[in-house]
Amino acid sequence: MFLKVQLPWNVIIAAESLKPGSLMLQRAILIRLLTDFAAKKATKDMGYFLAVTTLDKIGEGKVRQHTGDVLFPVVFNAVTFKVFKGEVLEGVVHKVLKHGVFLRIGPIENAYLSSSKMPGYVYVLGENPYFMNQKMPKIAKDVVVRVVVIGTKWMEAEREFQALVGLEGDYLGPISAPDM
Amino acid sequence: MSGEEEENAAELKIGDEFLKAKCLMNCEVSLILEHKYEQLQQTSDDPTNSVSQVFEKSLQYVKRFSRYKNPDAVRQVRDLLHQIVILTYIRILARYQLAEFELCVLGNLCPETVEEAIAMVPSIKTRGRAQDDEAIEKMLNDLSLIKKFE
Repeated sequence: MFLKVQLPWNVIIAAESLKPGSLMLQRAILIRLLTDFAAKKATKDMGYFLAVTTLDKIGEGKVRQHTGDVLFPVVFNAVTFKVFKGEVLEGVVHKVLKHGVFLRIGPIENAYLSSSKMPGYVYVLGENPYFMNQKMPKIAKDVVVRVVVIGTKWMEAEREFQALVGLEGDYLGPISAPDM
Repeated sequence: MSGEEEENAAELKIGDEFLKAKCLMNCEVSLILEHKYEQLQQTSDDPTNSVSQVFEKSLQYVKRFSRYKNPDAVRQVRDLLHQIVILTYIRILARYQLAEFELCVLGNLCPETVEEAIAMVPSIKTRGRAQDDEAIEKMLNDLSLIKKFE
């Protein structure tokens, strides 16, 4: 789910970039915030950081004693993406393996749909391998699949989430004619 | 978040902070990100270089999965659903209310039948709200009408 959140952060401006003129300072704070935001990528609690929408408040700067840098508390609005267990989402298959497929869902690169969570599907080997069952369209590369999230895992080192997804439920599975 | 094992969006157990958070439909995110991207194009020589991977992947995704591509229609969908929520809320008194989360899942997946809507968002039937099929049907009808207007 995409979320609109308000976050309080601290932005540090190096002493040498502090120049007279408050507009320049505001700009420096904004640029620093955007850089930090993009570098942060994601957090376990808030999910992936997509974009800053508004910078709502810049508090009073505090000089840090040893470096002379100035720390500004800021409050801003941002768009994030977090997957929840039990949530139904649509993703695009980008890799087909014998034991399951990997889907892209928003910023999540690897949502894994195991063959054990695809009841009735069998793996078909070939140049473009796919999974098929009798009633539904096949699950191949670039196919849109509607899935339910079984579990998520935060990978601290990579700063990203892995998601396990499944087809066990009504109205889940590949979507035949992508109407978009 | 403690009690992580208990998280289950199907029952709308997503943690209080997210229950209160404003959720966004794919089409809304698409509007926001495309606008951001245009801004970057004006200020940077190479906008593809100045956006993060997370941004780029998300933009690709929401562009593909936006059901309502007309900005006015996006606003209409939201307003309409909110109106329905309010109207139904008044009608069925305090028994019915749609959480932001539920609204956005329905808006993203566009279920065609009541049965499908309940399969996608089981919580609309539970949580002691006794949401009746007729109300869900009406909500889906209004959603599909908007789609036709485009």
